[in-house]
Parts: sequence; structure tokens; C-alpha cells
Amino acid sequence: MKIARSLFTGGLLAYTGLFFAFIYIPLAVIAVYSFNANPVNMMTWTGFTTEWYAQVLGFKTKVSESALYIESTGQLLQAVWNSLVIAASTTAIATVFGTAIAIALYRFEFVGQRFYRVVMFMPMLMPDIVLGIALLIFFVNSGIRLGLTTIIIGQCTFLISYVFIVVSARLAGMDRTLEHASADLGANEWMTFRRVVLPQLFPAIVGGALLAFIISMDDLVITYFIAGVDVTTLPMFIFSMLRRGIKPEINAIAVMMLSFSFVVASLGLYLRSRQK
Amino acid sequence: MTIASRRRFQLALLLGPVSAFLAVFFLGPLAIMVVTSFLAPGLYGGVEWTFYPHNFGRILGFADPMFEEYDPIYIAIFLRSVEIAALTVLATLLVCYPAAFCIARLSERSKNFCLFLITLPFFTSLIVRLFVWVLILRQTGLVNEVLLSSGLTERPLDLIYTKGAIILGMTYVFIPFMFMPVYASVEKLDWTLVRASLDLGAGPIRTFWRIILPLTAPGIAGGAVIVFIPALGNFVVPAVLGGAKVMMFGNLIEQQFLAARNWPFGAALAMMVMSVMLIMMVAHVVLSGRRSAAAAALAR
Repeated sequence: MKIARSLFTGGLLAYTGLFFAFIYIPLAVIAVYSFNANPVNMMTWTGFTTEWYAQVLGFKTKVSESALYIESTGQLLQAVWNSLVIAASTTAIATVFGTAIAIALYRFEFVGQRFYRVVMFMPMLMPDIVLGIALLIFFVNSGIRLGLTTIIIGQCTFLISYVFIVVSARLAGMDRTLEHASADLGANEWMTFRRVVLPQLFPAIVGGALLAFIISMDDLVITYFIAGVDVTTLPMFIFSMLRRGIKPEINAIAVMMLSFSFVVASLGLYLRSRQK
Repeated sequence: MTIASRRRFQLALLLGPVSAFLAVFFLGPLAIMVVTSFLAPGLYGGVEWTFYPHNFGRILGFADPMFEEYDPIYIAIFLRSVEIAALTVLATLLVCYPAAFCIARLSERSKNFCLFLITLPFFTSLIVRLFVWVLILRQTGLVNEVLLSSGLTERPLDLIYTKGAIILGMTYVFIPFMFMPVYASVEKLDWTLVRASLDLGAGPIRTFWRIILPLTAPGIAGGAVIVFIPALGNFVVPAVLGGAKVMMFGNLIEQQFLAARNWPFGAALAMMVMSVMLIMMVAHVVLSGRRSAAAAALAR
């Protein structure tokens, strides 16, 4: 019985090890092979190079001089810039709106609270494609030109939910005695909000904002439908590159994107989890 | 100003702008999509403002014989998507369920670190995570390289552009969606009940079926819903890992919008996905009798 038990526990541990291997080994594979010098067969190791990174960042390299590869560094940089502009704008809007809804739902009583909750969870469940085409039909019918503006508006509709969820989780778990104390000591509502509630809420707001930023940077489906013909974002750029055929530069771009998301998301998740 | 009216003013200030924004840019577009799905497609890609239920007829079998023909292909693609989504649910569950038990029994610190490691990929680019699988599975990919050079196979296997590749890719992408709700119910599991069952003479297998599984069922159901719905309408995974060979409902919708330019039909296809989503949500709420498990899982 005891042996069976420890065998079971060992098996479970091994399984969990495999579970994490399944999640992270593919990412490690791409990180390693992004330094592979083989330009034709990317999975056959022929030597170490940082060529592809140099290429992506626009430095002159042996390969670019032989004019085999990227003709599109300019396009890539434009796509990165677009993504950053979009992410910055959507984060600003979604953070304000999402926080406002969270405060309204957790500090006020009003009719229709359930309705707001349902609306906040809808974008999480709805397949992206449905929201994407709904926005496309809407924008085209209302005569708004597809482009940066429509992407920003469209992404905000679901990013508000993410900020809302992070901030409301914090509000739900917040100790309200401090607020009562502040009120008892004669601070008015605005003072209490600014000096007591906001500082406690701040990590969650920043955490939510970072997560919204990263989700905006990574969004492909909704952006794909409402981007129009002139604007390309980073995920769209990679998606179209994948459809045209794979080049080693994509490896380098992918690894840089992964690292960027890892850093920003880690920070966001850390701030979200800092409950006390 | 009285306190009550000041509170009302504050509330209006908080909710006014965002409500207007969501009404116009979120609920509005969804409503317009519903309307569009009942309109006739125009000759040159536009929409004609007449009631036209045959968009659904083209899918379900009561097509307008003048213009559109009923083609069972649409329902076939729909059923295939349902199948792939269901298999994805099963696969994510098999991957996540045992791991959840293991992680739930770790120390607080390692627990939080594991949860962090599981959530992190959710925030990395979807397209990058799928691209990795292209590198691994394609003809000249990692798996085939290893198999060929070790002499296990003579020629490369067809791994990519198959149904299996899509399910693998979806499983990879949807792990956090399944893990969180399942983990939430596993962590809450009352182990004294398990011990009681064992003490009273039930074997481990019987204890699993009669105690552990029913007690963790809400988490499984919640995970199933939030994996199944986005998997059903997914178009990026099949586009990247299914190629042109394995088409899913999402690709069909994309085609109607960006290639065929039959928007009403595309909207009708999207409505099919939406109705499955609504049915599942209602069933889930009714069956579990509690607030949406998605809500609980995501609010963690």
C-alpha cells in the first residue's frame, strides 16, 4: 500500500514535470534555433549566428548583402510602431474605463449591476472572430475609415474587460475598515478615495494596464478584421509571413516578442497577485 | 446637494462614458451583426435591406432555390469544428487534471510559482506560440529531422496540416483556460471525504468515480465551456496548422468576409457559433446552478 502510494505520488510528479515541459520546451526550441546559422533548413543545426537578429534590427549583414532575405525590415519596423501606438492608446482608454466600471460595481448599488457583469464577461467567452466581424460590419456601415482608429476602438471593447477583472478582484478583496476610519476621522469622500482607496488599488490598476498592453500587442484576430488595407500590426505581419513561407528572421522576431511579453506580463501578474 | 444625489452624480460620472462607449462599439456591432445575418446579400458584395432567412437555409437545408443552394458542406464543416473543439476539450482536460492535483498539494510559494508559469504563456503572442509548432511539425521540422536522422523513418511524416496538428495546437494554446477552473475546484476538494471513502472500504478507483470526480465536476464543466467556445470559432490555429487541407468554421467565416464578400452569409455563420455559445452558457448555468464558472475562473 505504501509502495503503491509513493509510486502514485512519483507518477503524478513526473506527469506534472511533463506538463511543464510540454508548455515550455517548444518555446526553448525556438529560442535555441533562432541562433542557428542554417538559412535553408531551420531545424538542422549548422552553427551559431546572431545574423537573424542583426537582420531584423536592420544592421548590414553578410546575408543582407547577398540580398537573399528580408526586403521588409522597413515594413516590420512600421508594424512594430503601429502595434506600440495602438497598445499605448488602448491601454490608456481601457484602464480608465475598466477601473471606472469596477469601482461603480463594487462601491455603488444600482439597478442593472448584473447586466454590467454579463457585458464584462461576454468578450472573454465570445470567439474573437465574432466580435471581429461584428466590428467590421459596424465600421463599414457607419462610414468610419478602417485604420488605426478603428483598431484602437475595437480592441478597447474587450480590453476593458481584462482591466475590469483585475481591478475588481482587488476591490473585492480590499479591507474597508481603513475607508471607514478615514471617513470617521473627517476626510471627505474625495480625500478618502484619493488617499486611501487609490493607493491600495494602484498595483492592481497598473497590473491590469500592463496585461491590457500585452494583450493589445498580441491581438491578431480582431485587429485582422478591422485593420483595413493600410495598417499592419506586428502579429498580422508575422501571420502573413507565415502564410507566404517561413524565413529564419521570423525566429528572431518571435524570440524578441516572447521575451518582451514575458517581461511585461511577469510584471503585470506580479502586481496583480500582490494582494496585501 | 443631498448625499443620495451626490452619489448618483458620481455614479453617472463613472458609468456614463464607458456605458456609452460599450453601447455604441460593443453591443451595437453585435446587434447589427444579428440584423445583417437576416438580410440578403447584394450583387456586388453589399447588403440588401430585405428580410432573407435563407442565409441560415444555406447552412441548415432550407435554401432559396433561386439564388443560393443548400450545400451539406457547411454543416459538415460545422460538425467537424464541433468534433475538433470537443477533442480539444478532452485533450486539455487530460493534460491539466492530473497536474492540478499535483500542484494543489505543493507549498504556497511553489503553488503560486506554478500558477504563474501556467498563466504566463497566455500573455505571449498566440501567433508566435503556433509558429513554434509549425517549426516542430512541418516536413523539415524538428520531429521529422530527428526521426529521419535516427533512421526511424525513411521519409518525412505528414504531421502538419492534419486534424491532429490542429488539436495539438489548440490544446497548447488553451491549457491556461482549462487549468484555472479545474485547479480551483481541485484545490477546494475536501480530502477528509476522500479519506472517509477509503476508510469505509471503497477502493481508489471507486473513490475517484464516486467522490473526487463529482466534487471537481464544476471545475471541469467550467473549463470545458471556456475551452470549447473559443476553439469552435477559432480561425488562426486551423489557418496556421491546418493549412488549406483542414478547414474549420472560423476559416469559413473569414472567407465570407474577406474573400467571398458575402457578409450576410458570414454573419449567419457567426450566429451559429454564437448560438452554440449561448446554449452552452445557459446549460452550464442551469446545470451547475451557480455563477458562470468562467467568471469565477477568470476573476482569480
